[in-house]
Amino acid sequence: MHITGLLLDAPQANTAANYLPIALQLLFALGFVATMMIVTHLLGPKRKTADKLATFTSGIETHGNARTPMAIKYFLVAILFVLFDVEVIFFYPYAVNFRALGWSGFYSVLMFVGFFIVGFFYIIKKGALVWED
Amino acid sequence: MNAIILSAVLGVVMMFSSVFVKNKSALKHIAAAGLLVLLIANIADTYGCSLFKIDLHNMLRFDKFGLFFNTIGIGATLIYVVLSGRDIEKSGNYVAEYFALIFFVLCGLTLLTSFGNLLMLFIGIEILSIPLYILTGSDKRNLKSNEAAIKYFLMGSFSTGIMLMGIALIYGGTGSFQLEVVRSVFASYKGVSFLEIAGLLFLLVAMAFKVSAAPFHFWTPDVYDGAPSVFTSFMATVVKAAAFVAFIRLFDARVTETSAAVDWKMLFSILIISTLLIGNITAVFQQSVKRMLAYSSIAQAGFMLFALFSLNDMAKEGLLLYAAAYSLATIGIFAILIKMKDVSFEGYNGLAKTQPLLAATNTIFLLSLAGIPLTAGFFAKYYMLASVIKTGSYTWLVIFAVLFAAVSAYYYFRVIQAMYFKNGEAQTDTITPGFKAGMVIVAAIIVIVGILPQTILNWFYF
Amino acid sequence: MNNLVYLIPFFPLLGFLINGLFRKSLNKPLIGIIGSGSILASFVVSLLLFFQVKSNGALPVQPLFSFIDVESFKIAFAFQVDQLSSLFLLIITGIGFLIHLYSTSYMHDEPAEHFGRYFAYLNLFVFSMLLLVLGANYVIMFIGWEGVGLCSYLLIGFWFKNNNYNYAAKKAFVMNRIGDLGFLLAVFWILAKLGTVEYYEVFAQTAKLSNADIFGITILLFIGATGKSAQIPLYTWLPDAMAGPTPVSALIHAATMVTAGIYMIARSNILYTMAPVTQVIIAVIGLATAVFAATIALKQNDIKKVLAYSTVSQLGYMFLGLGVGAYTGAVFHVMTHAFFKALLFLGAGSVIHAMGGEQDIRKMGGLAKKMPQTNWTFLVACFAIAGVPPLSGFFSKDEILAAAFEKNSLLYYIGVAGALMTAFYMFRLYAMTFLGQFRGTHEQEHHLHESPAAMTIPLIVLAILAAVGGLIGIPEAILPNAHKLEAFLEPVFEQSTRYVHEAHTVSHSTELMLMGVVTVIIIGVIVAAWRKFSKYQYSDAEETGLGKVLENKWYVDEIYDAVIVNPLLKLAGFLKNVVEKSGIDGIVNGVGRFVGYSARQLRLLQSGQVGNYILFMVLSLVVLFLVFWNETIISEFLKKIF
Repeated sequence: MHITGLLLDAPQANTAANYLPIALQLLFALGFVATMMIVTHLLGPKRKTADKLATFTSGIETHGNARTPMAIKYFLVAILFVLFDVEVIFFYPYAVNFRALGWSGFYSVLMFVGFFIVGFFYIIKKGALVWED
Repeated sequence: MNAIILSAVLGVVMMFSSVFVKNKSALKHIAAAGLLVLLIANIADTYGCSLFKIDLHNMLRFDKFGLFFNTIGIGATLIYVVLSGRDIEKSGNYVAEYFALIFFVLCGLTLLTSFGNLLMLFIGIEILSIPLYILTGSDKRNLKSNEAAIKYFLMGSFSTGIMLMGIALIYGGTGSFQLEVVRSVFASYKGVSFLEIAGLLFLLVAMAFKVSAAPFHFWTPDVYDGAPSVFTSFMATVVKAAAFVAFIRLFDARVTETSAAVDWKMLFSILIISTLLIGNITAVFQQSVKRMLAYSSIAQAGFMLFALFSLNDMAKEGLLLYAAAYSLATIGIFAILIKMKDVSFEGYNGLAKTQPLLAATNTIFLLSLAGIPLTAGFFAKYYMLASVIKTGSYTWLVIFAVLFAAVSAYYYFRVIQAMYFKNGEAQTDTITPGFKAGMVIVAAIIVIVGILPQTILNWFYF
Repeated sequence: MNNLVYLIPFFPLLGFLINGLFRKSLNKPLIGIIGSGSILASFVVSLLLFFQVKSNGALPVQPLFSFIDVESFKIAFAFQVDQLSSLFLLIITGIGFLIHLYSTSYMHDEPAEHFGRYFAYLNLFVFSMLLLVLGANYVIMFIGWEGVGLCSYLLIGFWFKNNNYNYAAKKAFVMNRIGDLGFLLAVFWILAKLGTVEYYEVFAQTAKLSNADIFGITILLFIGATGKSAQIPLYTWLPDAMAGPTPVSALIHAATMVTAGIYMIARSNILYTMAPVTQVIIAVIGLATAVFAATIALKQNDIKKVLAYSTVSQLGYMFLGLGVGAYTGAVFHVMTHAFFKALLFLGAGSVIHAMGGEQDIRKMGGLAKKMPQTNWTFLVACFAIAGVPPLSGFFSKDEILAAAFEKNSLLYYIGVAGALMTAFYMFRLYAMTFLGQFRGTHEQEHHLHESPAAMTIPLIVLAILAAVGGLIGIPEAILPNAHKLEAFLEPVFEQSTRYVHEAHTVSHSTELMLMGVVTVIIIGVIVAAWRKFSKYQYSDAEETGLGKVLENKWYVDEIYDAVIVNPLLKLAGFLKNVVEKSGIDGIVNGVGRFVGYSARQLRLLQSGQVGNYILFMVLSLVVLFLVFWNETIISEFLKKIF
């Protein structure tokens, strides 16, 4: 079986000609970005000094390397934050459809929250949120 | 259904037991009791006694094959925990969590034996894999363990990506995730479109990765070698067998035989040949028994792939027998390996003098892996090859496999040779009488299955 | 009563197991009692069965268990006791017992462990020999056949510290194996044509066999017999087999094992009767062996070597008998020969015992006075083997020669010439050993003594048997209806006699006249030998001319070495050094090296770099896709390869 054969067998709607608008749009998008970058690069004034290349940190002097080892606690808290933050993504659509979903929706979300409470309980008990050593 | 929910609940129970149970050595008893409950619940399920009645919309479909495999998997895990529980205890500070992760792996296993929907396959694979990434890295202070975990995770994610790509392509081609719909599409189309076949091919690659079939096996030696030996034992046996069951469930005869556009048998035979070749040949030159076992597990996967090659009833029976025989023998070998002070071949020198019973049982396990008659391994291999013969073609593949079974005898016998015929003082940890009794029971099961395979196989007719 | 059959081989087997397993803990008297007692028990049972067979005829075949059972191919482990086997049972267990008894004394100087080993081997031998004659089919016979060969090997090399003895044992084994191949091929042939190896069934279906089949089967069986029964060209092992202890020579290499070939042909008599060409070959080879071995015996100086060549010669007469259709005569001669040859060997053993291991008859002489019992029993045996009436050898040898005369008078005359030589060398042996002056050292002379009772009793019993044993087969010409043995064995050879409708062509008067003439000449030869060698003086002078050729056994061993053994060794050396080293080893090691090499190379793939791994995976994925597109091409390609 060959690609050409596949394409010939496909329904009319899927022929290459029908994708022309998409191709044009793609071309336009890429072309616009490229043109803009080149044009700004050529038109803008240039004055290169060491100060201008330095990292801007709200006027504070930079010191040390960015890749210093950090306490694992930061990551732990961060990942737990993300976990509980994402919860909201589920709650929001549920809140919108609260009436439509009725009791069965309520039970489902209750179960979902239950799981989170169990997890929360576990991380508290394991001392994952204790900041001091 | 029993096993899926109970394993998840038991996993959570194990997690909390770390909070409430302060006595570390009690944890393995809790885990063993939990596994026993799980085993009984699953057997009850097999005989139609399900605790949960939930409308699943065909997301999961339970059949006897899957449930029977659950029994094998849970039973093997129980034996594993009983034999190596003490070593799990020693491997780190978070003992309860290790057991919890094992239960979650079992949850993934039970999903994989019953999925009816490609999403469930994906979820099952992930539930199976993620705990393993953690278990691999559980020896936190060991650089090799960390490295193995990261590698496993990276490559596992890569294969997951391939799998999702495959599922997406199939969805694009058939418009459904349901396995039945996918099958009926494959069965009805005169010429299946490129999308579906490419999707199936991606799925094949992802599953081949999970069962460590060459040339997608690269993670296996590094991960098995780096992971703490106790968890390697679990990964190489129960987990791998579960992946195989998912594999055969996915590539059911109806998917592959009807899509005549692709010679699936040819594809599988390429996988089998390269797996047998790489697994066996590379195992020959290993210096560490543990790493040799990693390659041997690749080689054994080559044999299990025959079930996917022939896809008949005999292959399904044979796969169950193979999974049981291989898992038991490997768990036994690893249980001894964990007790060894030195896991190189030299470390086994003279074990027959210091620990005659362990040497004897280890010999039985190794012979079973090599497929010597009067052991379960022989009949497992026999069924696999017979299923190929039954398909009536590709006889040369059988000859090839037999040749490589002969090669495999070389590296298995190297261990036996070291134990019996080399001088040395093999050092082991203290061996309890209970451990010895457990080894004898496992060896006895292997020999009994090897002598009376029919009694075991009679259960398989479903 | 019938079930007693099982007991006969059971006792020796038990004796073998006890003596073999506990030889280190048992003491010598106990070993001797177990060893001899087991054979005595078998003898008693054999006797019971013999009388039963005598009054009621052959017993039905007794199956013990199914030995081989593969679909249509079934072989039972079954025993058959008929007239022929019951006679052999008596010979084996009877003489076997006497020799065991003799051995308890003869082997007394061995340490207990070797003593036990000796009796274990001896019992195992008897067990195998009993299997050989009891078996109801060719396969069981073959098992026994191999068993006796093994025991012969073990016992010839009993004193294994002497390397020459080991060579002798090896030679016997190899020569026997050459013959065994013939036997085995014959059994396969029978099996292929008839689908069974049971005697009853084979002999009942001989009509199904073509002449070529019968010729092939009989000649192959005969090749088997030439190995075991030491006929030309496979006889050279027997004289070398004298390396074993003397009682072993008496039992195995005179009385029982070497007659297995005669038993086999007598058992298959109908096949041979139907194959006249084979019969001629057997007769010619038998006669040639008889005369050839007799000439060698004329010049041998080792007491046991003389007896060994004499045995080869006498076996030749038996084959002559088989060849001319005188099956009864051959079996008769087996029996009488067993008596007098066992007696001769045991007597020789007694002499060797007294002489402290000396076997050269040139260094003996005048032993008659010192060893009266040995002397007179030996003399009886010499008269018997020489064929002086009415001793046993006369009747049996006469029966064979008379049958030969019927066939062809040339056979008869050559046979008689051999018989005269027999008389000559036997009395040369007797005179040089027992008469004249003692020629050994003073020490030996001082040591000379008669052997103990355990050795002389068997001698006396055998002497009586050798003297009167022939009376059961008095020929028609002398006394009508006195040939008891012929009447007894008639059912066994019935089929053959029915097949051959020849009437006696020789009148009784002719036969009597021939007998008389031969007897007179033999007595003349005896007197001549007696007179010549009783005055023998020791001399080192080398023989010349024909004498030297005879003393060196016609240089047959040297010829075999030059023509067969050395070329074979050269070929083996070539195969070992050239073909195996570079060819076979090259291939085998090459495979191993290739696996090792590829293992080292494949190991490099496992670089430890995740990036590489993933690259390989992606490449493999691409390859799979390519294969999927071009699968027809690749599958065609692979199908062509495999």
